[in-house]
Amino acid sequence: MAGNKPRASSFSRNFSAASNTISQIPGLKHGPNGTMFLSSGIPDLDKILGGGFTLGSLVMVMEDPEAPHHMLLIRNFMAQGLVHKQPLLYASPAKDPRGFLGTLPSPMFSKDEKSRDRDVEQEKGLRIAWQYKKYFGEQNSEFQRDGKSEYCNDFDLRKPLERHFYSGQQIDCISLQDSADLTTFQDRCSSFLSQTSRNDRNITCAGRIAIQSLGAPQCDFSDKECDMLSFIRSLKSTIRSSNAVAVITFPPSLVSPAFSKRLQHLADTLVSVKAIPDEDKELAKLLTGYQDMVGLLSVHKVARINTQVPTILEATTFSMKLQKRRSLILECLNQAPVDGSTGSSYASSSSCSGSSKTGSLDF
Amino acid sequence: MAERICRALRDGVLEGEHAPALTIKDSIQSPFGFLVFNHVLSQLSSFIVAQKSQSQGIVLVALSRGPLYYEELFKSKGNDVSSSNKWIRVLDCCTDPLGWRSKLMESGRIANLTLGTSTTASLYKNAKDLDKLLLAITELGKELVGDGKGRFAVAIDSVSEMLRHTSISSVAGLLSNLRSHDQVSCLFWLLHSDIHETKATAALEYISSMQASAEPRTRPVNGQRGNYEKLPFLEQNLRGGKIHVRFKRRNGRVRLMSEEFCIEQSGIKFTPISSEAEMMARSLVPKVQFNLQLSEKERNDREKVVLPFEHQGNGKTIQIYDGRKSLNEDKPEMQYTSAEKVQTVKDSGRGEIIYFRDSDDEMPDSDEDPDDDLDI
Repeated sequence: MAGNKPRASSFSRNFSAASNTISQIPGLKHGPNGTMFLSSGIPDLDKILGGGFTLGSLVMVMEDPEAPHHMLLIRNFMAQGLVHKQPLLYASPAKDPRGFLGTLPSPMFSKDEKSRDRDVEQEKGLRIAWQYKKYFGEQNSEFQRDGKSEYCNDFDLRKPLERHFYSGQQIDCISLQDSADLTTFQDRCSSFLSQTSRNDRNITCAGRIAIQSLGAPQCDFSDKECDMLSFIRSLKSTIRSSNAVAVITFPPSLVSPAFSKRLQHLADTLVSVKAIPDEDKELAKLLTGYQDMVGLLSVHKVARINTQVPTILEATTFSMKLQKRRSLILECLNQAPVDGSTGSSYASSSSCSGSSKTGSLDF
Repeated sequence: MAERICRALRDGVLEGEHAPALTIKDSIQSPFGFLVFNHVLSQLSSFIVAQKSQSQGIVLVALSRGPLYYEELFKSKGNDVSSSNKWIRVLDCCTDPLGWRSKLMESGRIANLTLGTSTTASLYKNAKDLDKLLLAITELGKELVGDGKGRFAVAIDSVSEMLRHTSISSVAGLLSNLRSHDQVSCLFWLLHSDIHETKATAALEYISSMQASAEPRTRPVNGQRGNYEKLPFLEQNLRGGKIHVRFKRRNGRVRLMSEEFCIEQSGIKFTPISSEAEMMARSLVPKVQFNLQLSEKERNDREKVVLPFEHQGNGKTIQIYDGRKSLNEDKPEMQYTSAEKVQTVKDSGRGEIIYFRDSDDEMPDSDEDPDDDLDI
């Protein structure tokens, strides 16, 4: 799976005792350049993005009109927030957004389920051919998994989130359908974000905002693109100075291309989901694991705050699979082995565009 | 495949989800959308009468053709019209959609029209107000199935007519509210795609879960519009065409299917497509990499390989192997081949590393070979 190694410099932030309190807040962890991360709810996505969603950033998800995969991302995001007891604001074009809360997945705990055991076993059994081993004794590299709450949970999409996660939580649900314009929604967002503003040094908690399908045709303001743009701009500026993350999904096929481009530029982290055709023999021949795939996820931009260095990912497109129909995993796309008659692919360079089927593949 | 659509509508909605919604699209090149609509409507009504479907009734919102047309349709298909008020209600938005006739009648300008309406039709005069339309539809539905767990299907004769009177956002709102209504089992509508903006068509496709579009059987080679008026094309395209269906499945994959249809006296007939399947666009698959994971067998083999320094630190004397001597233990003979790199050989027994020295023709103790102290 692609992960990116942060550039290690000789300077490192001195984490004094005062900021140790931050690491004790569940659900937050330190990132490079003085930023902090919160989890997206999908362990693979956190790895790809280098730790999670940066606090103070705006995440945009471009929907595919033919597939509901953006809902998977939003569900995991919201469920992770509830598990970590972070305040949540959810808005959607449905008449009753509270109903969506019933579809949130439940976390799988490592004690009951062996969700990630393939990784663990490989690490335990790692044999190193190291020529200086003879100078040292046997060193145990134990994989410590403590009982503290994890930064990112694996979610079981088949089980609904238990009731005790909802109780005592601040969850605001807003329906976007009836409002003629976005001013009331904007006020709600501002008041939500003022709770988690960054003025004081100590963070109590981080907030999450999830807006589903901004620009869906049911809403009256969908054709007022200037209003939507100014709303997103003000949201972005408010979020930058608060300890929250906003995830917004929008359907690029239903809005004008200029508006879609503007939204893509406004995003700090940009991700898109795509549907795949069912029972497509060509794709089944081309990709391994096609049977289990439900869709494709592409990462276009990763948030980089307080730095000028961009993140360059090894791979930008991942296949979305449901492992055991339960948890969402993201994998690099793997090409199926080419049969011997065509042959030249193995001998070609490691870049994957060297495929012998010239006519049918267009990378 | 038209069967699949009808079956999907018949099976209806699962608890807690949105109702399946079908868009039937056509255009001037293949203007047979209404025939497909009639086919789907009559299939669904026969399922309902035979009580094989989830829905117990249909509410038909008739915008482009009046209720009398539908009575004739049902009679010709053999459905029993006399009992039709048990399973169908027609909301007549065709006779007087904006209420002009009734205003004129009130003011005495025109005489009262006696329309031979059946008992199943109710007149609706407010095509511009979709909230009231939603209310009217749901009330008619409740009349049909009662207030409890019963469900009804909704058929909208032509969303294109609706879009004449109101904006796309209110139509989209109406359709999505119907989809999420507790008592609606399934929903389908007809759309003429070429008389609307692409944004409107895209919005309706976004809301629907299945799309069936009627297209001409043959397209002219150079794509000029004038060719459509050429007689052979016209003749062929007016006798039938192709229907392409896109299903949005629950797991997020899209099922694409095609069939041919031809127009006959009795209506429309579907046949599976004769020519070979079309190529799917593969441009959606970006860079793929080779598989770097190991299968189970490969992993087992890897476990068995003895690594170079592994046995060190066990108390035995350390023998540095430099690839030229042959060892006295049970290792196979080394072959001295020049210009070979270190290879890992996996076999069923102990995995071994066969080391071919890089620079065999050089003097020993040469500093250039970094594998000097490789110890296997």
